[in-house]
Amino acid sequence: MEQKPKAYMNPYLAGFLLGMVLLASFFITGRGLGASGAAKSVVIETIGSVAPEYAKENSFYASFFATGDGRPMRNWLVYLTLGVLGGAFFSGFMSGRAGFKIDKGDQISNTTRIVFAIAGGFLFGIGSQFGRGCTSGAALSGMAVLSASGFITTIAIFGTGYVIAYFFRKLWIN
Amino acid sequence: MGPLIPQGYVNPDLNLFFAFVIGLGFGYVLEQGGFSNSRKLAGVFYGYDFVVLRVFFTAALTAAIGLLLFSYMGWVEYDMLYVNPTFLKSAIVGGIIMGFGFVLGGYCPGTSMVGAVIGKIDAMFFVLGLLGGIFFFGSFYELFRPLYEADNLGGILVYDSLGVDRDWFVFLFGMVALASFIITRKIEDKVNGVELLPKGLFHPSYRMPFFMMLFLTLLNLYLPGEPRSKWYENDAETLLKAAVSASHYASIDEVAYKLLHEPENDLLLVDVRSPDEFAAFSLPGAINLPLAEVLSQKAEKLLGDTRKNIVLYSYASTAADQAWLLLQRRGIQNIRVLQQGLNGFFSAYFTGSNQTESRSEQVNFDLRFRQRAMKAFKTGEAAEKIVTKGTPVTTIVDIMPPKAGKGGC
Repeated sequence: MEQKPKAYMNPYLAGFLLGMVLLASFFITGRGLGASGAAKSVVIETIGSVAPEYAKENSFYASFFATGDGRPMRNWLVYLTLGVLGGAFFSGFMSGRAGFKIDKGDQISNTTRIVFAIAGGFLFGIGSQFGRGCTSGAALSGMAVLSASGFITTIAIFGTGYVIAYFFRKLWIN
Repeated sequence: MGPLIPQGYVNPDLNLFFAFVIGLGFGYVLEQGGFSNSRKLAGVFYGYDFVVLRVFFTAALTAAIGLLLFSYMGWVEYDMLYVNPTFLKSAIVGGIIMGFGFVLGGYCPGTSMVGAVIGKIDAMFFVLGLLGGIFFFGSFYELFRPLYEADNLGGILVYDSLGVDRDWFVFLFGMVALASFIITRKIEDKVNGVELLPKGLFHPSYRMPFFMMLFLTLLNLYLPGEPRSKWYENDAETLLKAAVSASHYASIDEVAYKLLHEPENDLLLVDVRSPDEFAAFSLPGAINLPLAEVLSQKAEKLLGDTRKNIVLYSYASTAADQAWLLLQRRGIQNIRVLQQGLNGFFSAYFTGSNQTESRSEQVNFDLRFRQRAMKAFKTGEAAEKIVTKGTPVTTIVDIMPPKAGKGGC
């Protein structure tokens, strides 16, 4: 245990505060939180400006450019994520946790960790599209409004995690 | 009144500003909770650190019960909250893929951004992978589309799907969360080789969640099923029944009788025509609530008096019927429509001949009443109230449309 969690907030307090943030989000805007949506906007914006012809032909991008205001970055989730970056940096900096670092299990090299991080991100990218949101957007916000999909997604994510954890244990434990 | 922006209480241009502010809180709490550390996050799958489960469950329950409480207090319009639609297959497949992503990558999208911004290199690469994955999905969208769009069940709610009462579901959800807090604490201690304290349930580390869960779930059970505000939605069946039965009409004779017999007048007459038409002439004691405004905030205050016998009217009964339908849908019960409307009223008591050839006792009784009422209206003081131009009554409430508000509170 090289990470003494003392520096972190009591998880129940953190959960309560996160719930309050989520509640505020619903109260003010009528919708919950999300993170993968901003990544999607970045992808759409990039493809739209790098290869506009391709974006017109591909229905995934075209549907956005046809219905949206053509400005993927002027989006609620993008600004939310900008806030997340700001808030997280403030918190990490004030708590002395900012700094370049790789968190990993003891058994693997930094390269292995990076490769699996990319792979994990890649899968999350695909999964969040199918799930219409990620852990925050689909699972957490979904559960807050007691939607069926919120609970289904949560169970699928964590259920799968527990099923496969054993096979990837070397990534994280000894 | 909430949600503020969809209801028009807050300028939608401020939407993005609020997004940023909410994001600040979101990012701050995640980082403070330890979600910037992939090793801590992955601990939930290996039993050495259950921070994810604790924060996640507590947050979901806090928000869920908070929303129910807000709804009960009438602070938030539950129907207007965004409920993500359930695409059963897509949600399951997506969840499974994300499960793999979580174990392999040690992050989820939100937490990876939190980690990346404070310098976690693995998080930065996770974000790159995330962008790549979305690009991959977009590139092969046509291939994924049949699955992605299959089985749209709409914005269904979990307790409906399970066929249980909402409050009991939330209570059970809370109990499951609490049980998981206790069990995972024991697992965590065991995995990390920490000696279990012999304090049983009241181990200090879950005193806080225990009382929190107990408070929240009991609070939820204590709340009655229906919001305190009368402005909740009636289901389609009730609405249809009420509309078809046509029992929501108040006869002109009843209204006339009550207008002439002040002590028995429990009516709240609501003119749903335009303010101009209302100003020209109306019934005594009436208030003006144009059709377009019946769901506004002021309408709630005006029509919220359950002791009053509310009667809506327009020239005929079409506009009033529409207003009745809107209000009925919102769960306002003691509300009726003036049968035949103002036109019927005036032709019966002012211009009508009130002659009939019927020998029926009832018809003749009604007729005699009308003849007497006509006399009273034309000669008595009631006449002045009705026919004078300008402000017909003293009790008119200024009910100009609120600037921003569209829906009810």
